[in-house]
Amino acid sequence: MSPIPNAETHVGSPRSRVDGRAKVTGAARYSGEFTAPDLAHGYVVNSTVAKGRITRLDTAAALAAPGVLEVFTHENRPRTAWFSYNYQDEVGPPGSPFRPLYDDKVVYSGQPIALVVAETFEAARGAASLVRVSYEAEAHETDLKNRMDEAYEPPKKRTGISPPPKPRGDARGAYADAPVKVSGDYWAAYEHHNPMEPHATTVVWEGGGKLLVHDKNQGVLNAQSYIASVFGLGKGDVRVVTPFVGGGFGSGLRPQYQLFLAVMAALELRRSVRVVLTRDQMFTHVYRPNTFQTVRLGANPDGALRSIQQHAIAGTSQFEDHQEVVVNWAGTLYHCDNVELTYKLAKLDTYTPGDMRAPGAPLGLFATESAMDELACATGVDPVEIRLRNYTEKDENENKNFTSKELRACYQVGAERFGWSKRNPEPRSMREGRELIGWGMASGAWEAQMMKTSARATLTADGKLEVACATADIGTGTYTILTQIGADAFGLRMEDVTTKLGDTTLPYSPVQGGSWTAASAGTAVQLACEAVREKLFKHARKASGSPLADVKLDAVSFADGRIEVTADPSRFVRIADAMRAGGVDRLEAEETAKPSMIDQLRYTGYTHSAIFVEVRVDEELGAVRVTRVVDAVAAGKILNPKTARSQVVGGIVWGIGMALEEETMPDHNLGRFMNHNYAEYHVPVNADVQGIEVVFVDEHDTKVSPIGVKGLGEIGIVGTAAAIANAIHHATGKRVRDMPITIDKVLG
Amino acid sequence: MYDFDYHKPSSVADAVKLLSADPDARAISGGQTLLPALKHRLNRPTYLVDLSGIAELRGVKREGDKITVGAMTRHIEVQNSPEVKSAIPALAYMATVIGDIQVRNRGTMGGSVANNDPAADYPSAVLGLGATVVTDKRRIAADDYFQGMFTTALEPGELLVAIEFPIPEKAGYAKMRNPASRYVMAGVFVAKTKDGVRVVVNGAGPGVFRQTDMEQALSANWSPDAVAGIKQASEGLNSDIHGSAEYRAHLVSVMAKRAVTDAG
Repeated sequence: MSPIPNAETHVGSPRSRVDGRAKVTGAARYSGEFTAPDLAHGYVVNSTVAKGRITRLDTAAALAAPGVLEVFTHENRPRTAWFSYNYQDEVGPPGSPFRPLYDDKVVYSGQPIALVVAETFEAARGAASLVRVSYEAEAHETDLKNRMDEAYEPPKKRTGISPPPKPRGDARGAYADAPVKVSGDYWAAYEHHNPMEPHATTVVWEGGGKLLVHDKNQGVLNAQSYIASVFGLGKGDVRVVTPFVGGGFGSGLRPQYQLFLAVMAALELRRSVRVVLTRDQMFTHVYRPNTFQTVRLGANPDGALRSIQQHAIAGTSQFEDHQEVVVNWAGTLYHCDNVELTYKLAKLDTYTPGDMRAPGAPLGLFATESAMDELACATGVDPVEIRLRNYTEKDENENKNFTSKELRACYQVGAERFGWSKRNPEPRSMREGRELIGWGMASGAWEAQMMKTSARATLTADGKLEVACATADIGTGTYTILTQIGADAFGLRMEDVTTKLGDTTLPYSPVQGGSWTAASAGTAVQLACEAVREKLFKHARKASGSPLADVKLDAVSFADGRIEVTADPSRFVRIADAMRAGGVDRLEAEETAKPSMIDQLRYTGYTHSAIFVEVRVDEELGAVRVTRVVDAVAAGKILNPKTARSQVVGGIVWGIGMALEEETMPDHNLGRFMNHNYAEYHVPVNADVQGIEVVFVDEHDTKVSPIGVKGLGEIGIVGTAAAIANAIHHATGKRVRDMPITIDKVLG
Repeated sequence: MYDFDYHKPSSVADAVKLLSADPDARAISGGQTLLPALKHRLNRPTYLVDLSGIAELRGVKREGDKITVGAMTRHIEVQNSPEVKSAIPALAYMATVIGDIQVRNRGTMGGSVANNDPAADYPSAVLGLGATVVTDKRRIAADDYFQGMFTTALEPGELLVAIEFPIPEKAGYAKMRNPASRYVMAGVFVAKTKDGVRVVVNGAGPGVFRQTDMEQALSANWSPDAVAGIKQASEGLNSDIHGSAEYRAHLVSVMAKRAVTDAG
């Protein structure tokens, strides 16, 4: 099928979010905001020890408190699925998923051990403080440093996560022989996602065993399968509707415990129940793992790499092997014949870590790109030049060509916009007032993926289009880009298109994650629209005296509610007339987009970036300000430069947080996170964010996805922390390999 | 927040009468500390005595060689006062770096000095300039007024009505702000007056204190270099998630140097 040429009016142009007004006026409904008659409220009681057994759970006082309906614990919880695999979900790693209220065992501090359900949230919260718990505590370990000797290669691979490639050449020998060597140990702190919207579930008891569930997640179908499997329900009895998500960042990929608790309570009480986690409780589930790395690079005096060794050890829980791609990135950025990469896990008494924006990549690249900067210093080669000298045109991990790789253009355009050529390579060479100025840069890469996704397009005789897909919009702009694609398919105004998302009754989509949604759902919508256009065109040709009767598909265009001959727009059939000719008042098609198997076997796809950063460091105070950022991104086709820029800026801001501020601090004696609130878990605020410029370099890619899109959700964060660390080195001469780079480390 | 009653007297005498009648009554000025405490149920007053209706507590006056600031004068008014700006520019500058614009529009000098938060700004200026705290009953020298964390010489029922600042030859202030809360991590106020040199540290310890080594050094040689090399001992300084005692001690030397530079 050769599609009808698509005039791009909206696609490729900056467009404001179609859901923007609803969000700023409060009309957009979030999971904890849906309500129902007779809604009961649950409040979670969390464990205060990190490991052990609950010996006594006294709920009498809580049950006697006014308004309390029930207190659920492991002792009285209703029957749920027996086997842990029933709790598995679409993106979970190998292991036994956590089962809330399953038995008396405590496996991490903050574990939910009871749910108090009452007539009001306040009553539930008040009563929760009356639950008395006794424990038999066991010795726990939450300090990665103490478990590194027992680190192991995960025996079972996590689906979708590439393990490190087999060693190539002789990395150790080549390192020993290399005339220039750099080596360092790198730390990255625990980080929590902290979306503005806390995890929340409202279960609407619809009677007749049917549940309508509003749950904060990044994939309604994943939540639906989980509920059905855990509670033994038919999928037809569980509808999950999550139209808006107030930030996911990976925290909503797997079902979180409030979903289980809310559904359990609703089923048992036969009544609607809402469970909302507090900000403190947002620190009692998923997080980015504490990760240790060692990097050794060997090179010739001209900077050409002779050896790359990168080894990572990340924490995981006792019950699951969370995995992410930490050490592999050098193999897609740089040519080197001798490479050894390893990735190990260490068991800690914590909840299972999970995916956080570009899982693995900013950790790995912090180490790789800091080491490349050190190598540039050691050889006296400019940091951009050393990356160009080691540039690879092949993914050397997989020995495949790239679908496209305009990283070279990113280096060039980014350097030019930033004014990199004026940089004096000498550390401490720039100063203004009390502050030292440093310029640093780093490369970024993230997988460009496409997943099997379906979408439906429905065109009505009044010239209105609805496109629908079960995927989420976690704040990324999915509603907007799908609206743009739909509008252009029929030459409509964006106001004439309605996009429906986040509902299990809509066509299949995997979770929104991995930066794959624009490519996947975008292609599915495009295909569904093309199918409707074909149907409509057939009807239009059948209309009596149709000016299109002898015209071929590729000679017409859709504009202004009609199908017209592209070469002679005076010959046209209106949408309404075409429908009338076909005897219909609406046309609908559902199509499924799949990645090309052949292209996937032959090529690897990555989004790339080159990020340039200016920092100013008050040497006496150790305080670092990021004053200027230029990020040049190659991400294939850009559907909407406005929402695309927002995605990249958001990633960069988080990168600033990662580099300088974000750190969840465990108290290893208690096995618990101490700074579980916004007052003490610092994220960048407006005052921390100054000029950020995002440049999209041209990149034409026909293999990565049918619509040429690579995805943008994660590329903004990946190189940012490394670029900041490198800029701090350039400013001060001090190399900090421990994130976040706080004042004490700059001064120390 | 617990329930409480509310009074809004229009004279100091009425306010003092109300405050003396019940030991659990509290005066409220700008509410920048008391309101959050009430919200968190950390305080349970029987009633609040709102001082904002008392005209005699407001305003800035210059009389001879001193500046008098009424207790209910808001930070923004200190910041913009032509009298303060010309006589004690360091005090006007200090007001510009308190909290954020919302805090400066609500918070008052009397409230800050009566509360004596270790991370507050004004106490360092009051002690650093050798000011006099005027209450409804008496006059208290700054050296006798500050008595450690959240503690002052004020008696129950006694109302702070004004602060008299002698106009110095030179004064300067520098602080490291917590980037999130804007509270002082460590600050130093320096002043050269006819009675000598004063160097006062705030934010770093449990309350404001004079740094006598630096005072001696500056008396001999009023220059940033004179204090740059003087190390503050870290013993007894505050240590928390935002900065260790050692870091705060380090900041004292840096801020002292910057305060002298600021004073000129």
